[in-house]
Amino acid sequence: MAKPSADQGIIGIYSYLDTFCHAIEKVRDRKDFIGYESFSPTSYHEIEHSSGFGPSPVRYFTLTGALTGVCVGFGLAILCDWDWPIVVGGKTPGIYSLPAYVVLGFECMILLGVIGTILGMLVMGRIPNPKRAVLDVRTTDDRFAIFLPGAQVDSPQAQFLRECGAEEVRST
Amino acid sequence: MSDDAKLWSKTISDVNEEVLVNLETPHPAYYIALGGAVFALLIGILFVCLHFTFGLGLWNFRPPVYWAVDITNFVFWVGIGHAGTLISAILFLFRAKWRNSVNRSAEAMTIFAVISAAVFPLIHMGRPWHGAIWALPLPNTNNLWINFRSPLVWDVFAISTYFTTSLLFWYMGLVPDLASIRDRVTGFKRLVYGFMSFGWRGTAKQWWHYEAGYGFLAALATPLVLSVHSVVSWDFAMSIQPGWHTTIFPPYFVAGAILSGCAMVYNLLVPVRYMFKLEKFILPEHLESCLRLTLLTSTIVFYAYSLEFFVAWYSGNPYEWALFAKRATGPYAFYFWVMMACNCWFPLAFWSKKVRENIVLSYVICFAVNIGMWFERYNIIVSSLVEDFIPARWGHFEPGLWEVVITVGSFGLFMTFYLVFCKFFPIVSLSEIKLIMPKPMSPKSLKAGGDHHHG
Repeated sequence: MAKPSADQGIIGIYSYLDTFCHAIEKVRDRKDFIGYESFSPTSYHEIEHSSGFGPSPVRYFTLTGALTGVCVGFGLAILCDWDWPIVVGGKTPGIYSLPAYVVLGFECMILLGVIGTILGMLVMGRIPNPKRAVLDVRTTDDRFAIFLPGAQVDSPQAQFLRECGAEEVRST
Repeated sequence: MSDDAKLWSKTISDVNEEVLVNLETPHPAYYIALGGAVFALLIGILFVCLHFTFGLGLWNFRPPVYWAVDITNFVFWVGIGHAGTLISAILFLFRAKWRNSVNRSAEAMTIFAVISAAVFPLIHMGRPWHGAIWALPLPNTNNLWINFRSPLVWDVFAISTYFTTSLLFWYMGLVPDLASIRDRVTGFKRLVYGFMSFGWRGTAKQWWHYEAGYGFLAALATPLVLSVHSVVSWDFAMSIQPGWHTTIFPPYFVAGAILSGCAMVYNLLVPVRYMFKLEKFILPEHLESCLRLTLLTSTIVFYAYSLEFFVAWYSGNPYEWALFAKRATGPYAFYFWVMMACNCWFPLAFWSKKVRENIVLSYVICFAVNIGMWFERYNIIVSSLVEDFIPARWGHFEPGLWEVVITVGSFGLFMTFYLVFCKFFPIVSLSEIKLIMPKPMSPKSLKAGGDHHHG
């Protein structure tokens, strides 16, 4: 027997933000909604609160990238100076030229911090992921949705989504 | 009814439908503008071909003026880019709602302006396929590393970081919108947009990490935008040339960059708004906010110009004062007074609400600001360079035909990229504009007067 796809299950469609947020809050309290996903056309903070999300781990990616960048920027300039000192205006290169290298340390901090952040957004958001399908094209337009994998359209979970204000519940 | 609801005649359900349909059928003026831009670009390419064939002699060099119009264009275009990052990053952190309708256009402007800027140092090398490597932190044939204490090396790092950051920030902002386009189209187009949107699905978790990351990108881009034009100004300020060796340069350059960028955002948005029928999404209030920002930065620039003159006199340095007096009364007085009029006096009209609401008049003033900002860079660079430390070499410099041609070519390059972008990508950020529109609340909630869930 073929393994069921991660995209097989039921999806409940919502038109209103407040109804959708209440539905998420209720779904979170139930034990039979394991692995549910919610969808929205844009990033309303109300959904974040209803889903109970705390601070995103993306910040660790940003911090790691930024700290690496500072080290790379200063390290590049100092090591190059070490390799072949260029004495300009009688000033000793290396550690004594640090003020000039602040610019390089700063720029590299921003550069790698940004690259780290983007990696964080991709890794934590699980994208790109060609194995996952778009379940309902309306969720990138103006509708909200809750998806439960593995459930049937006549299950108690489907009935629960309807009770929570879903205007449509269908299998995917 | 909230203030937001009174402002908008559209709901979030109209956004994807109307913005994307209008992209497919722009006004005929779009094709005329695109034709003009491509023509200007071809003229620029012709010059670059001639330049590579016959060498740097085509430029109107008058020693000691070796870099005049090319570096003027470089600073001008980098400056234009700054408003894009200001609008997308700094106004995001300040939660200025109006930026959501114009940020995509401003970010695109940043990317294409930096590309236009990067062309100038590259072609100025004469043979960039040999020259570009000098700017990279690689040892040369004598195993000698580049001088990391040179502002020119800092500039390479700053501009490269700025371009990469702007590009990534802009593209990540585009990802949810590309997914919206993917879900509207079929066949090959769906495959292309699906690939470009990384398979974005819009789950709450994706939005959660996306929002956090977007905030960090804005927080990183904010000091970057202030630093990049400061570093560009150090190309000049770190020298000992009178007229350049000034500590006011970094904030003065940053304010000037944002002034020209805001004016350019207005100059681009007004026709694009008309060509793609976006009047219901880019509201007059948003355009007016852009003009307020132009007025603010214009007054900062006015203050910087005045202070620069005051310090030249007050410092007691006769060379510095002689140069500044000559800028206002000497052979470059025309450039100086055009700069003053366009950057300081004309924008004062924006104090009047009637002027701000008059799109045609505001458009003309913003256009004048862009001319003034180009003249400002020309004025700073040429009037200082032309009188260096060997009086026997002093002379006069005026741009020649090819300088004009390459300037027109750079505008062609910028406008071609920008107009092509407008046609294939949403010039209004679909996901972000939905955030400033009235939230889709249930009739029960609206009846109870609640505009917000959980406050």
